Amino acid sequence: MNRQFGLALALLLPIVVLAGNTWMHYQQRIAGESITFPIEGFDPRDLLSGHYLIYRIDYGIDDNGNCPTSDIAASLCLEPERRIYPVDELPQSCTQFIRGNCDSSTRFISGLERFYVPQQYADILDKKVRNKQGKLVVSVDQSGNAGVVDLLIDDRPWKKIVTEE
Amino acid sequence: MISLEKKLLTWLDQGLINQEQLTAIGKYEQRTSGNNNNHWWLYSLLILGSSIISLGIISLIAANWANIPDLVKLGTAFGLLSVLAVTTLWQSKPDSGYMYDALLTAFIILCLAVIGLIAQVFHLSGHWYNALLLWSAITLPTVLFARQLFACFLWSTIFIHAATWGAIALSSGSFSGNNAAQLPALFLLAPLLAAGGYVLTRLSQHLKLFRSSFFFWFQISGLVALIFIDIIRSGGEMRSFELNWYIPAYIVAAILMTMIASNPAYRPLNKGLLISIILLLLLYFHPFILFDGETRYSFNALQDPGGTVNFWTADDIRAPFLTILILFLYATHAGNIGHHRTFNVMTFLIGLRFVILYFQAMGGLAATGVGLILSGLMIIGIAWFWHKSRKRLQHWSEGLHE
Repeated sequence: MNRQFGLALALLLPIVVLAGNTWMHYQQRIAGESITFPIEGFDPRDLLSGHYLIYRIDYGIDDNGNCPTSDIAASLCLEPERRIYPVDELPQSCTQFIRGNCDSSTRFISGLERFYVPQQYADILDKKVRNKQGKLVVSVDQSGNAGVVDLLIDDRPWKKIVTEE
Repeated sequence: MISLEKKLLTWLDQGLINQEQLTAIGKYEQRTSGNNNNHWWLYSLLILGSSIISLGIISLIAANWANIPDLVKLGTAFGLLSVLAVTTLWQSKPDSGYMYDALLTAFIILCLAVIGLIAQVFHLSGHWYNALLLWSAITLPTVLFARQLFACFLWSTIFIHAATWGAIALSSGSFSGNNAAQLPALFLLAPLLAAGGYVLTRLSQHLKLFRSSFFFWFQISGLVALIFIDIIRSGGEMRSFELNWYIPAYIVAAILMTMIASNPAYRPLNKGLLISIILLLLLYFHPFILFDGETRYSFNALQDPGGTVNFWTADDIRAPFLTILILFLYATHAGNIGHHRTFNVMTFLIGLRFVILYFQAMGGLAATGVGLILSGLMIIGIAWFWHKSRKRLQHWSEGLHE
């Protein structure tokens, strides 16, 4: 194989993979159904870690529907009943769900627990999330993949809030 | 070059070389140094410049421009990546010199920046080592086309770190770096992985440029691992052991031993030495086989007045002897294959560990005047012994053949 052609392919590979990855996330964001969950901070842990907020998502699950055990792959069924199942026990009747796992403290982790923010707004947003004013807009597709769309403060996009303050 | 000219003139004055030889040597040096050495500073500055530009781009992207739409951010990043790829391809002619490698390095750094940008725009959770493993996988083909060491060194460094943390996380399920009990597994895996990479690079000419990078990380991480485990076992600390934390290290060790045993480039003696080192290291990191975590020779009188501890069964005596044995085996291997600098460093470390062992075992004696005199004499004695014996030991290790 011509060396020049090989180099061209090698340089193309990362661009194609990263562009494909971006396209996949973008499609998931625009094609999925939007759902809004309240979020809350959890003391004493610092909500701010570098340039992102970390929080707990209130999925609205009652005690009976929580993680059955720790350290398993799980799915959170959203419709018709909000309940967490081990991934292989998700009922056929569940029409909308989010994939994730139950961590060592039997808490459902969906991978949506991080929101990147500009550093200059981090403190303001941190306080508001601590005051339980925050909500997370999530896009969920048919396969249970979920992606973060936006952070709402008092039901308004965070960008509007920080520009007003 | 100036010092060489001076030397050549001195040799000419002394009649060691004639005028023709002087001219020939001068021409040869000018030709070869013009190809290899004269531009090292230019290369360094180009690499530094491209690294700073890449870091600047990372910083700009990471600054979270809240008012710029996500698609514009991503479009700009991919545009830059494409321009850099085309420029690298354009500069890939054999006579393009260092500019080609500088562009290639900037390209792979920008790939890392784009991964960070994607995570930021789509608010992706995940561990840093997963991002670095993805980067390692997609940039490896590009790095294989590098002509200078830097890109290969950068790639190997990032890959070893990401692969080590990623493997432990995969096997343990929840590795965060905060669990100190898992650290020994990390320290054990790193040198084994680097050594595995080094042995792999010896099998293929395409990987030749990676060889020194993996070897460098093997020596550094191996030494750090040995110091770490010596301190831990001597102190009887970190007794938690879960097999799944160590599975990656055991798998890599098994593969590495097979590769060493089947490598025709190694003599049976070297194979035996290297495999023994790996087995000893595995034993060293296991907290129960050779160590009980409780028996210590130092300060025994304070902890258990009236009690007696056997010198040879105490953890803080066994640990340094195991360290010295591993260093000795590696020094013999290094001496045998002609790595003189490594041999010298290893024998020096053996001497240093003996001195520390002396203070560990006779710590109380060092507090007295006689003890201090004895300690000083011992340090001088070890230094003298090392200076006098290392050549003999080196010749001995070089002479060890089948």
